[in-house]
This record gives sequence, C-alpha cells and structure tokens, in this order.
Amino acid sequence: MHIPDGYLSPSTCAALYAASAPFWYVSLRRLQRALRSRLIPLLSVFAAFSFVVMMFNMPLPGGTTGHAVGVSIASIVLGPWASILAISIALLIQAVFFGDGGITALGANCFNMAVAGSLAAYAIYRVISGNCSIGSRRRVVAAGLAGYLSINLSALLAAVEFGIQPLFFRDAGGAPLYAPYPLKVAVPAMMLGHLTVAGVAEAVLAAGLVAWLQRSHPSLLRATAPNAPETNGAAADGWPAIRPLLVGLSILLLVTPLGILAVGSAWGEWSPRDFADPAVRRQIAAVSLHQQPPSIVPAGLQRLSAVWTAPFPAYAPPFLRSASFGYLLSATFGAGLILLVAVGADRVFSGRRGSG
Amino acid sequence: MTTRIFEVQDVRYCYERVVALDGTSLTVPSGVRVALLGANGSGKSTLLRLLDGLYFAESGVLRFAGEPLTEARFEDESFSFDFRRRVGILFQNPDVQLFNPSVFDEVAFGPLQLRWPPEEIRKRVGAILDALHIAHLKDRPPHRLSGGEKKRVAIASVLVLDPQVLLLDEPTAALDPQSQGQMIDMISAWKDTGRTVVTATHDLHSVEDIADYCFVFEAGRVLAEGTPSDILQDVGLLRRTGLLHSHRHTHPSGEIHSHPHQHHDH
Amino acid sequence: MGSHGFLEGSIQGFLRALEHALESEELARRNGLLQSLDPRVKLIGTLGLVLAATTSRRLAVIAALFALACLLAACSRVPLRTLMFRTWAGALTFTGVIALPAVFLTPGPLFWRLPLLGFPVTLTGLRTAAYLVSRVETAATLSMLLVLCTPWSHVLKALRVLRVPVVLVVILGMTYRYILLMIAAAREMFESRRSRTVGRLDAGQRRRMAVSAAGVLLSRTMQLSGDVYLAMQARGFRGDVYVLDEFRMDGRNWVWLALLIALGGAAVWAGRS
Repeated sequence: MHIPDGYLSPSTCAALYAASAPFWYVSLRRLQRALRSRLIPLLSVFAAFSFVVMMFNMPLPGGTTGHAVGVSIASIVLGPWASILAISIALLIQAVFFGDGGITALGANCFNMAVAGSLAAYAIYRVISGNCSIGSRRRVVAAGLAGYLSINLSALLAAVEFGIQPLFFRDAGGAPLYAPYPLKVAVPAMMLGHLTVAGVAEAVLAAGLVAWLQRSHPSLLRATAPNAPETNGAAADGWPAIRPLLVGLSILLLVTPLGILAVGSAWGEWSPRDFADPAVRRQIAAVSLHQQPPSIVPAGLQRLSAVWTAPFPAYAPPFLRSASFGYLLSATFGAGLILLVAVGADRVFSGRRGSG
Repeated sequence: MTTRIFEVQDVRYCYERVVALDGTSLTVPSGVRVALLGANGSGKSTLLRLLDGLYFAESGVLRFAGEPLTEARFEDESFSFDFRRRVGILFQNPDVQLFNPSVFDEVAFGPLQLRWPPEEIRKRVGAILDALHIAHLKDRPPHRLSGGEKKRVAIASVLVLDPQVLLLDEPTAALDPQSQGQMIDMISAWKDTGRTVVTATHDLHSVEDIADYCFVFEAGRVLAEGTPSDILQDVGLLRRTGLLHSHRHTHPSGEIHSHPHQHHDH
Repeated sequence: MGSHGFLEGSIQGFLRALEHALESEELARRNGLLQSLDPRVKLIGTLGLVLAATTSRRLAVIAALFALACLLAACSRVPLRTLMFRTWAGALTFTGVIALPAVFLTPGPLFWRLPLLGFPVTLTGLRTAAYLVSRVETAATLSMLLVLCTPWSHVLKALRVLRVPVVLVVILGMTYRYILLMIAAAREMFESRRSRTVGRLDAGQRRRMAVSAAGVLLSRTMQLSGDVYLAMQARGFRGDVYVLDEFRMDGRNWVWLALLIALGGAAVWAGRS
C-alpha cells in the first residue's frame, strides 16, 4: 500500500499533504503538552518499532504470509495522536531512506495509513472494547477488528486516489498520465488484496499483541483504557454486556462494503460481466498493490459484485452519473465522514476521561 | 578538607511493586573513588540513578554538595544545568546512551543542551575525541561501532562536559578483555585527580584498581563498607552477598574440588 | 510456503535493510560529485527534479531526467549495478506488473495484436504504461541518489532548510538509529527461533511465534524509550533540543544549486502539454 512516486499527480499529492498537515500539527501540539520532554524518545523508539514490525512476515491462515502496518497496535498502546506521528515518521524513513513509497506521495501514504488508519483503529478499538477489563477477551476481538477495518479503510483511500487519476490527468492523446485504472478497477483490485491478506495480517498482529500484552505487560494497555477495571469481572465481560456492542460492530461491518459500494461501484458502471472477462480479471490481480495477490475466486467475486451493485444505481443522483467531479465528491465525502466519526469518537472518549 | 559530595540518608525507592532501595545510607566524600559492590538486583544501579537526579527518593534524604536532590529542585534551570555539568553518568547499556545519528553529534549533544557557543563545542568535541583515540570514528553511525568503541564514545559524551563527579554503572560489563583493561586503566588514572568516581560493579578483580573505598549492597541496603582490601578479605561477606562463586576446577596437583574463589590470578 | 517461510522471509528482509544501510554509508564516503555538494543543495536539487519528473506530460522530458539521474550517478561513483538491484529491478517488476494490463485495456488506435491470445495493443495503452514506468523509475532513481550520496545525519540536518522543526529532525535521527538496533535484535530473535525449530509447525504455532516476537520487541521498545529519556536528561536535555548547523555554502555550491534548480525548472517548462 506504499504508493511510489509517479502514481499520483502532483496536485493530488499536494492536496493530501495539505490534508495530513493539520493532523500532524494537532498531534504534535497535543503530545508536546501531554508528554513534555518525554515526547522525543517515546516517538522515536516507537516509530522504530513500527518500522521493524512492518518488516515482519506475518503467517496467515491458509499458509500465506503478509505484512502488517502496525498502525492499530500503535493506536492501542499510544493513542491515536502519537500513532499518527509515529507511523508518519516510520513512513518517512521508509520513503526517503529505503525508497519504499514515494517522496511526493508521502503525504498520501501518511494520510491513508497514519492519519485515517490511526483514527479509525482507535475509534473502533474504543467503541468495541468499551469499559471491559484489561484482561478481557473483548479487547482482543476489538483489536483484531480495529486492525482489519483500519487497514481496509487505508487501502480504500489509496484505491480512490488511484482511481481518480485517469479522470483528471491525461495527456493530449488521451493516455492517462499517472495510475491508469479507473475506480471500477482500482477499488476492487486494491480491496481484494487487503480484505483477504493485508487486513488479516494487521488483525493477527493487533489481536495477537493485545493478548500477549494482557499476559505480559497489562500496564501498556492502560493508556487507551483509562476506566477499565484491573481484574476480570465475569459479569461485565459476559455476552449480555457485549450484545449492544455487537450491534455496533455489525453496523461497522456493514459500513465497510457500503463504503466500497459508494465509490467502487461508481453509480452502477460496474457490471458483473467485467468479472467474466479474463483480461479484466488479470488486470485486477495485477493492479493489487499487494506483493502476494491471493488466488481469485471468480464465482464468489461475481456474487459479491452483484451484492454490491444491486441496490445502488437506484439511489444514485443522476446528475452525478456523468460528471467526473462526482467521483471526487463522493470519495472525499466518504473519507471525510469516516474521519469525522473517528474524531468525534475520540472527543467523546477524551471528554469522558477528563470528567471521570 | 574533604567535603561531602553525596549524602544518602535512609533512602527508599520502589519500582511499581519491587523495592529497590530499602533504607540505604552512605556518604561519598569529594575526590574519592568509591565502588558500590553487590549482585544484580541489589539496588546499586538504582542508587546511581538517584545520585544523578534521574529518579527521586520516596522517603529519606539525598544531598549533592549539601543541596537536597528533589524533583522540585531540578525544575530550576540554572540548578539543573549546573548539576548536569558537574555530574556525569555512564549507563551500563551503551545503546541507551548513544541515541544520535553520528559519533560527533553524540559527543556534541550534552554541550548543545547546555547551550555552549558552537565554536567552543567544536573545539571541545574534537579535543575529547582525540584524547580517547576515537577521532577516526567522528562520522560513524552508532550501529557501526564495536562494543568497546561504543563504550568509549559513551565516555567521551560524558567527559566532554568535564564533570568533577562520575557515576559509572558496570563500566566493564560485556566488554572484550582488551577494552576492559583500557577502561580499568582510565578509572585507575583518575586516582588523586580530584575527581569523585562512583562505580557500581560486581567484578571483584578490579576493585582495588578502581576504588579507594567500597560499599557492599544487599537487597537495597548497605551491608558493609571499608577499603577494598578489607572487603576482599571478608570471604564470608562476599559469599553471602553473591559476589563470590564456587565451581569445580582442577588444581595443578590433579585434585578436583570446589570452593568459593575469585579468579584473581587466572 | 514452508513452515519456516515466515522466519526466512522476515530474516531476508532484515538483512536487506542492514545491507542497504551499510552500502549507503559506504557510497556516501566516496569521492564523487554529489558527495562533494552541500546536503541542502542536494536535497533541494533532487526534490526539484523529482517534482519535474512527476509533473511532466511528455515522455521525452521524463526520459531526459532519467538520463540526467544516470549521469549524476556516474559522476558520483554510484555503480549502475547498485541502482539496478536497489531501485530499477524492484520498481520495474512492481510497477511493470501493474502497468502491463493498461497496454491492452486502454482504448485507442490499434497498434498491434498479440499473436495467439489476440489481445489488442493500443498506442495509448503503450504510452500509459510508459508514463507510469518511466516516472516511477526516474523519481526512485533521483531520490535514491540523494540517500546513497549523503550520510543520513546530513540529510536530516538539511531538512532544516525546508522548515522541518528541529524536534522532528532529532526524532528522525533517533528513529533511524533505533531502527537499526531493533532490526538487529529482531534478526537475532528470529535466527535463534529458526535454529531451535525442528520439524513442521502448524499455522497457530507460527502465528504465536511471530506475535510473541513482536511482543518482546514492543516491551523492549517501551523499556528503551524510558532509558533513553534518562540518558538524555542526564546530559542536560530539558525538552527543547538544539542541533549544530555544520554546513557552509561556498560559491561552487551556489552554482550547483542554481544549475539543478534551472534544470528542474526547464524540465517542468518543457514537460507542459
């Protein structure tokens, strides 16, 4: 998911630098206030940890391996603000020193993974884990879901950024200047790899590490669970207490495909026939930025695409159908909405922490 | 005319649930080289950090040149700068102490924080690198240094401020024999130079070279004190505090047995 | 993928990163053109050229910038082999795979039809793929040159001209330093696990192994950050950091700065559609 230079137009890059900048500024300000002189060593060493964890080949179910980003565990241990900075720093060093990800695309990579990923992971983790005890299994589940969903959100953002390139940037002869595939190809191609491999790698790392920390260093889970009781209270952690959360969870799960639907099916342009075409299928596999694209199941995909496309064209405002800025509008809107929810959730939690 | 550099009275310090110092009292006179002897976990490293104003006592009193060392005292910038200038600490793990991207930056870090003028910093850093024979490492990143080189850079980063008080935590641990020898020579050479040196160690070989006076620690308390020769003769004490070990070995006569011993003449 | 694949894969990754760090330090010490320039000149110059490569709407301009990058590499004694393995091969396979379908799928005048498969190759498609691949290769080569010819600590200090805050410069230096320390620690951990592991491990065991390795690293991380903080305090650190500005601009550096900016500007101008 590390976007190299040359995939995004300079204007897209500039916009995403501008989108990340306020988050960097706010994070730095907040952390300087909260950590004071501890800021430098904590961020440096944690960014180094994130960097090294990104190099781990996580073993996944089914015998494959995948790389995690570590953004969810950073948000769980440090909170979203420190995570935004730590992951951005790790991405900067990857881009500048190791050439993994572009320099002009750094703003985009930071926005997708560090900013959106951290805020989403934190909000999901806090919402699902609620006030259950530090040692509760619910925290493990919450961490896994936070990892899975946040990485897929990051991938979706990257896919949208790719997908809008050919709409706006073509040379005199009509050839796309940057990432060449439209949303209807870029989104499913990116999402396939992330829904099946990268998201799972992140979920395995986050859930596994939270379980490991519960046994070995429970105090490290304290920072983002200020009101959680120390010991396992069976009453608080039993199924009845989880039920309302499961409702929230299912809504979240519904939102993920909906988000893909909103931009991916792009007002009904995307027909299941595309998936019957071998060329398009290969294209989808190839466009996936993941090193190890999973084997594709065309039948399942066809069903999936039918599910996603079926309800949508009916609702699509017709004036947007032709206008290319509609893509941009919907993408921005979707991304903004998710971020808004994340930031709002953080507000609520920090407010509660302040009063409690 | 010996003045007291450090006075420690009945100090207690805990990490979360583990008691590290439990009523420790001792006095370090100015210009004397002192060794804190004790097995791992006896509280001597913790005491060094308290003496350097990095941790603060939960109860009891700790004084540096008559001034109590408290968190509030370090809020005062001029006191803090003066103290950091006069007292230097060498950590056991050099990776903790070398956090800058190059050797030059590492050695210049302390003077920069104390806001010396840039010209002065360049001059002093160059001089200390020459004195420790590490000028050729100037631009090296820390991960390209050997264990002995790391230790020397760490020492340079402390000595560049020319502190009159040095706190050394296991200075010879994990070094090859040659680097160990150089380190001991350096500490020996500080005898009668007016420098106060407090060394935490469990290495009995070198005690007589690096210290004029010893404190023996056990479970966060001072169990005994005296000159190195007094302490080294008290086999019962050393054995009790885990500073001596026994293992089976062969004598020239062919006899195999085990008894507590130091590898003094090996 | 064998049961040790994840250990092998991770260890290979660690080794590559360490090798890369080593090679950059080696090259940065050589006596070449870019090595002799002020880091700030290099930083601004390469950024300008990278920007020109990403803005250009003409393939010829991107190709010219690529040629310029190769010329700079040759004058700086950076072996083509290094660039080939470090940058070109990786970018080509990665981006090549992504660009390839565009050759067939982009609508436009038919250029050629693939024998047997019958896929249509369009001129527009070829141009599209060429844009992507050439841009990626050129930008990657230019930014790699900066890092290969400049010690990392100098790259960081040069960031000050872009108004990057000192705090960030210090954090980046420290992060890089501890990345290499942790890679070494992780490598040791994985290698000792590899040597202790005989026979096949099931998926769950492998996963637990990877996660506990990450956990051990995380707990060391927290410990390390606490200890580093003490070590910084012990040397007078009180929250504000100061760095020494070591660079001196001379006439030659000004000339090179002007030249690189002029080249970048010319490329941007020539690359307009």
